[in-house]
Amino acid sequence: MNYVPTTKKDEKIMLERIGVKSVEELVDSFRPMISNERLDLPPALTEMQLMQHMRNISKGNKIMRYFVGAGSYNHYIPSALNHLVTRGEFLTGYTPYQAEINQGTLQAMYEFQSFICLLTGMDVSNASLYDGASALAEAALMSASYTGRKQISVGNNIHPQYIEVLKTYCEAADLEITMNQVTQETACILTQNPDFYGNVENLSYISERAHKVGALSVTCVVEPTSLAIIEPPGNYGADIVVGEGQSFGIPLNFGGPYLGFLAVRSYLLKKIPGRICGMTNDSVGNRGFVLTLQAREQHIRRERATSNITTNVALNALAATVYLALMGRSGLIRVAEDSYRNAHLLQSKLSALGFQTLNNLQFYNEFLVKTPKSSKKILADLARQGICGGLEIGDNRLLICCTEMNTSQDIDDFVSAVAEKEQTA
Amino acid sequence: MSNADDQVGARAEGEMEKLLFDYPEGCITEHVPSSSLDRSINDSNYVDVQIEIPDNIKRKILPIPNLSEIDVVRHFTKLSRMNFGIDVGPYPLGSCTMKYNPKINEDIARLEAYVNLHPNSPEHSQQGSLRLMYELEQYLKVLTGMDDFSLQAAAGSQSELIGAMIAKAFYKEKENNEGKGKKRTKIIIPDSAHGTNPATAAMCKFEIVSIPTNSHGNIDLGKFKDSLNSDVALVMLTNPNTLGLFEQDILQISDLAHSNGTLMYCDGANMNAFLGITRPRDQGFDMIHLNLHKTFSTPHGGGGPGAGVLGVKSFLADYLPVPRVRVTKSPLKQSRNTPDREKNSGANNNSDDYDYDNNDDFNYYFLDFTKRKSIGKVRCFYGNFGMLLRAYSYIRAYGSNIRRVSENAVLNANYLLSLLKDVYELPYDRICAHEFVLSSRKFGQRSALNIAKRLLDYGVHPPTIYFPLIVPEALMIEPTETESKESLDSFASALLNIAKELREKPDLVSSAPHNTPVRRLDEVLAARKPNLRWSPSST
Repeated sequence: MNYVPTTKKDEKIMLERIGVKSVEELVDSFRPMISNERLDLPPALTEMQLMQHMRNISKGNKIMRYFVGAGSYNHYIPSALNHLVTRGEFLTGYTPYQAEINQGTLQAMYEFQSFICLLTGMDVSNASLYDGASALAEAALMSASYTGRKQISVGNNIHPQYIEVLKTYCEAADLEITMNQVTQETACILTQNPDFYGNVENLSYISERAHKVGALSVTCVVEPTSLAIIEPPGNYGADIVVGEGQSFGIPLNFGGPYLGFLAVRSYLLKKIPGRICGMTNDSVGNRGFVLTLQAREQHIRRERATSNITTNVALNALAATVYLALMGRSGLIRVAEDSYRNAHLLQSKLSALGFQTLNNLQFYNEFLVKTPKSSKKILADLARQGICGGLEIGDNRLLICCTEMNTSQDIDDFVSAVAEKEQTA
Repeated sequence: MSNADDQVGARAEGEMEKLLFDYPEGCITEHVPSSSLDRSINDSNYVDVQIEIPDNIKRKILPIPNLSEIDVVRHFTKLSRMNFGIDVGPYPLGSCTMKYNPKINEDIARLEAYVNLHPNSPEHSQQGSLRLMYELEQYLKVLTGMDDFSLQAAAGSQSELIGAMIAKAFYKEKENNEGKGKKRTKIIIPDSAHGTNPATAAMCKFEIVSIPTNSHGNIDLGKFKDSLNSDVALVMLTNPNTLGLFEQDILQISDLAHSNGTLMYCDGANMNAFLGITRPRDQGFDMIHLNLHKTFSTPHGGGGPGAGVLGVKSFLADYLPVPRVRVTKSPLKQSRNTPDREKNSGANNNSDDYDYDNNDDFNYYFLDFTKRKSIGKVRCFYGNFGMLLRAYSYIRAYGSNIRRVSENAVLNANYLLSLLKDVYELPYDRICAHEFVLSSRKFGQRSALNIAKRLLDYGVHPPTIYFPLIVPEALMIEPTETESKESLDSFASALLNIAKELREKPDLVSSAPHNTPVRRLDEVLAARKPNLRWSPSST
């Protein structure tokens, strides 16, 4: 295929104007040149062939009925969402450096920031970060910078991959991670709510613990549909709330791109990493939006920037904004209640079959069970029914998740697949 | 492009789109079932589950509006019409490679089997996506000459962070093993570099040594030699540099760095200049990141998501983030077989579909989490798969003709430059690569900003302005290969017209834009009195 519009005739005119004989002459100084005449890539494909090829490869994937979450949640995406976010005006623009012709992206950013604040109970939000895990790491760096301290305390069960990312960033920045230990050198206490195993908690005691030593309380929300029915972190003393917004209208996409978010109390405003959109006026007094407080950012401040982040995930922030607008308060509560109810329904049915629930607190839509026999065998039995039955956490422990997408039929199939095997075993 | 002429028009009151939050409450569309309803109809064995959430964790108020679907659709449609993208007009934003984003790639990326695949699903259900990632790595190796790739980073700046961390880990290990030498604490970065380079170095607590640019627009080799000592861990270069000029002394620079034991990192933001022409490895780089959203045309989305991938030479491969995608032949496949896979193993053979690559029936792809010397993870899961998929499609579309992309990018840039350089100042008069930088300083201070704003009236996205920092009143122009000659002519004539306007009616330019959805916006006010969100009390 070819997306270059230039004809041979035009090329000739252009070369004459430049004053060279050939295109080769223009690139002649790009050395060393690739020696072989033909590049070792497969032949070009037409659009039709490309689609066939990509469909063929896609057959190697098998979409299952997912009862797994652990950082990625299978929620329903309203049909209107895709139609809106794929409009070329949104899809093919870049960071709105020229605010006057990018009011669409900017206003959507402002609305995104508003939604995140309303959901988390915080004062200010940025316009997105890469994903939940890197957002958590950015929160740690931000806390260290704000407090001038070098210890990052991990307060409860945080997603293990999030911890790995945190370690990477802290290693780079010479910060020390302490598990559950809080001292006068602690910059922040990081918590996840619901935690990795789905447990929900009122984390006021963590915030109090942090504030007592002059540290910040950071809450990470990986499954944000929970915010529709669970107390927002702003109400239990969090100074920073970060998280993963994938649940809000972003497809599973094999793990990315997703949507990191970060919201803070207003006194942390100047330390926020990434883009922020603000409302202002134009020269004749009309309301408008611009990227603002850019003195924090790398393109202005270079090595003194709050972060090196540039490109974020604006289109996914737009998708989340559209999602929240379409679902509304009632739709969000439905999603949350349905996810919660399905998970508790499945949990009670599995309990009856000898699966021991290991959660020590109220859970939202994920729970950890000890399986009565090999979890590998159970997962294989379920896979035969096209069901992905959870994430194995060590031997014979499964982290199981439900959303509104798991129908009662799915839940029954899950239970009967496991139950049958119980009887025949 | 419209003729801008003298239009001066304040926006009519009603043209402004109100905030979502200012819409009246409406009836939401019922997108998902209400569970109690669903169960009572469908499930005779319905077990009632307490939905009661303990009071100390229960949310009392959810201050989110209920809107009707028609209002939401109209709202975002109106917003989109106040936006500018490549689909709307030319977007020669220097350093950002705003080329056409093929529509077919959007269709491909939304194929059910890709878009609905869960990252925590069993490996045997992920074979298609893993294969794509694996093959993408192979193509990127061909284009860069590197031995290994990590596809994990969400953007170029995150790849830079990995690169700087690899340098840190590499020297730390060297110190430990050899028990000698002091810590390497510095990174050399030219003064023309992207802001992310020094910001990344700072995140890794490296000290930055800035090297000036010489009169040819390349690195000052003498100053470079002087700065190179046993403290320097890494040289971070963009090639072609941000002036759009190929580093003529690149081989000498790499040799000097290597003989000093220093690693060479390429910021590959400008890879669109030399696809299939020259390879970063042959230029002496040990690592390179590629911005897939630039060179490989994944849509920029109003500021992401993008994808950064990092290629390294084999001696650095063990430091890359985990997991890595690997392939194995049938023996391991059999040992990894699941009943499910056995059941489906015949499906492909019976398929009527024409398979362009049917020679790899027995390849089994898997994620390798072995850490070796890995610097760790920089994000959850495996990378921005949706972007990897589009980049893969883009590479396969051009295949072995991919050199055409860069040749035309360079042709377009040089042609546009030839139309403009008599009127705007060209600080380094050479054949350029895929972009070039002009200066408007003869038109006075703030002229680059004013020109950019005036271009908006002509229906063109302005170039990058005031970057690189070493050129005063800089206009950084990157037309890309997907603009036609007519489009370039038209852009040039807009810029030439504005030069005339600057002489004849400067007020028209300094008060621009005039026919955009809003007039020039007050950034000072925005920063001084931050209004960053709607809240229930603000109306």
